[in-house]
Amino acid sequence: MSAVIVTVGDRPIREVNREIRAALAEGNAVTVRDTRSRHNLGIGLPEGARLRFEGSVGYFCGGLNDGAHIEVERNVGWSAGEAMAKGEILINGYAGMAVGASMRGGLIHIRGDAGPRCGVAMKGGDIIVEGKIGYLSGFMAHAGRIIALGGAAGACADSLWGGEVWVAGPIESLGVDTKVIEPTAEDVASVEALLAERGLGDNAREWQKIVSAERLWHFESRDAGAWLMI
Amino acid sequence: MCGIAGRILIKPARVGSDLVDLMEAQRHRGADSTGFALYGPALESGFIVRAMAADRRRLSDDLTAFLEILRDNGSDFVSDPTHDDAGTDHVSVRMVIKEPTHFAEWSRQADLISERFEIQSVGRSLEIVKDLGGANEVADKHGIRDFIGTHGLGHARLATESSVSPTASHPFWARPFPDIAIVHNGQITDYYTWRKRLEQSGYRFMTYNDSELIAVWISDQMSKGLSQAQALQKSISEIDGVFTFLISNTESMGFAKDRWAIKPLVAIEENGEMAVATEEQAVRMIYAGENPVINYDGPSMTNTWQIKSLRNAA
Repeated sequence: MSAVIVTVGDRPIREVNREIRAALAEGNAVTVRDTRSRHNLGIGLPEGARLRFEGSVGYFCGGLNDGAHIEVERNVGWSAGEAMAKGEILINGYAGMAVGASMRGGLIHIRGDAGPRCGVAMKGGDIIVEGKIGYLSGFMAHAGRIIALGGAAGACADSLWGGEVWVAGPIESLGVDTKVIEPTAEDVASVEALLAERGLGDNAREWQKIVSAERLWHFESRDAGAWLMI
Repeated sequence: MCGIAGRILIKPARVGSDLVDLMEAQRHRGADSTGFALYGPALESGFIVRAMAADRRRLSDDLTAFLEILRDNGSDFVSDPTHDDAGTDHVSVRMVIKEPTHFAEWSRQADLISERFEIQSVGRSLEIVKDLGGANEVADKHGIRDFIGTHGLGHARLATESSVSPTASHPFWARPFPDIAIVHNGQITDYYTWRKRLEQSGYRFMTYNDSELIAVWISDQMSKGLSQAQALQKSISEIDGVFTFLISNTESMGFAKDRWAIKPLVAIEENGEMAVATEEQAVRMIYAGENPVINYDGPSMTNTWQIKSLRNAA
């Protein structure tokens, strides 16, 4: 196994992604350079692939990930890891809007802050954000966990259907149809174990675990006000 | 979906070329049409008028009518009008005029010359040039890359709510306020309500494009005493819809973003200069390295960049 370097520059993205796939198929680890914040890099990569982006990338990086380990040196644009099934994406900087949108499994770890709608409509997997999660994070998520170590912006977990949003630090405001519950010791141990694997263990954290209040699961006309709160 | 951009330089330079690069990098967001609002060295008096005539063969008639109205209002051409020679039916015209005695009255009369002749910008400095096609095509046709100025706006359009034509393209001039231009990515949902109110106050609209309305709305607020920053802030609660727009005059450029955080915007500032665009990959066309990017991803955001203070900061 050797390291292969792929340069993006102003080349067509389809051509760049083919080159990445070919290098990965031969069992190489791949480093991608001169990314220029371009979109759709490293899409649908398979189990066992290892890919690192130098600098920042644009929208949809690592989307449809099927088991690859992807690292981004700096920031990602919108919808990184969209609809990923498994694998891991490590983002060392800031993650733009809708990181992990509709993801079904795997792990996204963000060292900086996440933008609005982090984990929107997610169906499984975990998102760890060392910083703060943005406005409307967890919006309409169905399953999975968002774990934020640096607080949450407004409308946190708005219209959460299922799944969990864990926040250490201040929450600017909660979204519609949410409730903060006392996590069990077992729950906390599970979250802390995941964080400890990433070198982020800290048993002194004060967690706020947010789940669905389940009022929006079934429409009732007497609850119409709740539907109009957004 | 549209793409917008803004650029501020510390001294007059190739701002047109930078804006073409910013827009070409976003042509996938819409290439129905592309337009530019360019701010060159300001005239001491008089105005630069940019207009579009729908029928090239009738252009001399339209210019004769335009000149007649100028003279009725104590003005005249400073030099002979120039126009593109691309051969298309529609033609883009540039005129430099002396100060009319009463600007508002002249502007009203000039707007009524003919349905086929539309004034697209008036300013001491502002020139709006827009046409069908992507950034490079529009730039080649109208010589945008050679434009020297301090700042400007760009727009790549994917039409959603109104027609595709050279006149329905962005940017829009905030008629009748000299030197104010807007580019916008979004949709306004209470358009007709606001249009009716503004028309009742005497404003005229040349299109049914919601972006033209926002430009006039902001300018109207500023004419009532609000600063640009205050007007932008107020627009977030007063105007309903999803939007991120950039508005500029000779002194400052600013943006406002709606309550729902739907439309992106990023900026890079360096040494008193600034590039702002819908997508980060566009501002990377200007700043190719890993300069820190300001992400305006959150809801209800505004910012204002002062053209003069940026110059002083350098």
